[in-house]
Amino acid sequence: MHYRHKISITTLLVFLITGLTVVGQNNAIFQTTNGLVTFRSEAPMELIKGTSNQLVGFLDNNKRVFTFKINVRTFEGFNSPLQRIHFHENYVEAEKYPEAYFKGKLIEDQDLTQDGIYEIRAKGVFTLHGLSNERILKTEVTVKNKKLYIKAKFTILLSDYNIPIPRVVYEKLTDEIKVEVNAILQPR
Amino acid sequence: MINKKFIVSILTALLVGHTYAQNVDLDSLLDAEMKNKTKSATQRTEATFTTSRLINSHTLETTQAGVLDFKVSHRFGTLNQGFYNIFGFDYASMLIGADYGITNRLTVGGGRSTFEKQYNGFLKYRLLWQSSGKTNVPLSVTLLAGVMYATDTAAVKRNLGITVKPRASDKTSYVYQALIGRKFGNGFSLQVMPTMVHYNTVATSNIPNDLYSIGAGVRIKITKMTSLTAEYYYQLPDSKMPGTYNSLSVGYEIETGGHVFQFQLSNSTGMTERTFINETTNSWGDGGIHFGFNIARVFTIVKPKTTP
Repeated sequence: MHYRHKISITTLLVFLITGLTVVGQNNAIFQTTNGLVTFRSEAPMELIKGTSNQLVGFLDNNKRVFTFKINVRTFEGFNSPLQRIHFHENYVEAEKYPEAYFKGKLIEDQDLTQDGIYEIRAKGVFTLHGLSNERILKTEVTVKNKKLYIKAKFTILLSDYNIPIPRVVYEKLTDEIKVEVNAILQPR
Repeated sequence: MINKKFIVSILTALLVGHTYAQNVDLDSLLDAEMKNKTKSATQRTEATFTTSRLINSHTLETTQAGVLDFKVSHRFGTLNQGFYNIFGFDYASMLIGADYGITNRLTVGGGRSTFEKQYNGFLKYRLLWQSSGKTNVPLSVTLLAGVMYATDTAAVKRNLGITVKPRASDKTSYVYQALIGRKFGNGFSLQVMPTMVHYNTVATSNIPNDLYSIGAGVRIKITKMTSLTAEYYYQLPDSKMPGTYNSLSVGYEIETGGHVFQFQLSNSTGMTERTFINETTNSWGDGGIHFGFNIARVFTIVKPKTTP
């Protein structure tokens, strides 16, 4: 009887501590629902640019994992409305593959609750047009007032994602697409 | 004993902690947020048809705001004209015209065809837009109103069987259409086209001034850039001029960047509603088939600041 009482107190304590850790974990999650993504194709005959502010992303500072996703239909810009439709219909095939995403782990151990500017490499799987490739993307993370300001510049090759360029637009579209991401992640 | 129980409690606690951790799994958070976003935005179905014309007929597509869609169409003579007329190539009927998108829903357009030296103009309005997400609309509905004015006086006299000089109203006819359709997935689009063509003046009193018909059109995508098309108009029994046939056309279209090339076979030679729906005098049965093509090229006149 006496023992049991003692044990349940211990159990309670352990539960409490675990609970606290869970709360702590919640605070370690950062999120954005309106990150900015810009892509550019700089071909000899034409510059094509598309922008979306609909990037959704979550980052767990404790588990060192992240996941980002964007609906490819939300890209705007382009040089004509028809080009935008062609982007959806003929290139990214938005109806079949509506989302592009990047999911993985942070390589550096840097605690992102400490103010500062850090170079963080993100290693993960980048998926577009239904095809996945492993990528390591360099990012610049600025931590200020409990917010993460994430900046990343990288390129993707359309050929890596089985998006062929028709011969008639060789001069107007490049295989190498420059991508820029700017997102502000806030504690959840 | 205590030790054992203590370990059990720790294990239990760990297990509980683990379950908690799963509850804040990033992927489920992400999926919930993405679902939220899809639900709060309306997604309009785009490119139900490749361009604003199917073969002869209008499609439910309107021209995007600020875009000029320039069109050139040819219809050759019938294939049964034989080798001497090189299967119809010696004769060509033409139409040059353009559509302009005032808004994404409202298009104005016009053209001039060699057939009876006819001018035509129209207004087209997208009443309903097939969409999903926040608002679900199962189909698109576009209304079309057009006017046709033939300036070839001799042809008008012949058509009406008159010898006096025809008045302007005698040369004028109108078309009213509802273009009702749906894109079923990426590969198949269908539209039905209840139509009324109004002639101000008709040749004999037993021909009604208002001629009703119902059309149907389909597009089947073969590759990303090519599709097969077909359209058919059924003229209602008491809405038919003598000696005319229902219009049936089949086509193949190629889309490259800003161009659309359409090639077709049709028993109609006209390219405006009154001429192909109500005045088709050739029939597929006896080889009265015309080869023809449409070329469309879009020019962005006003670059949109934001896309809808």
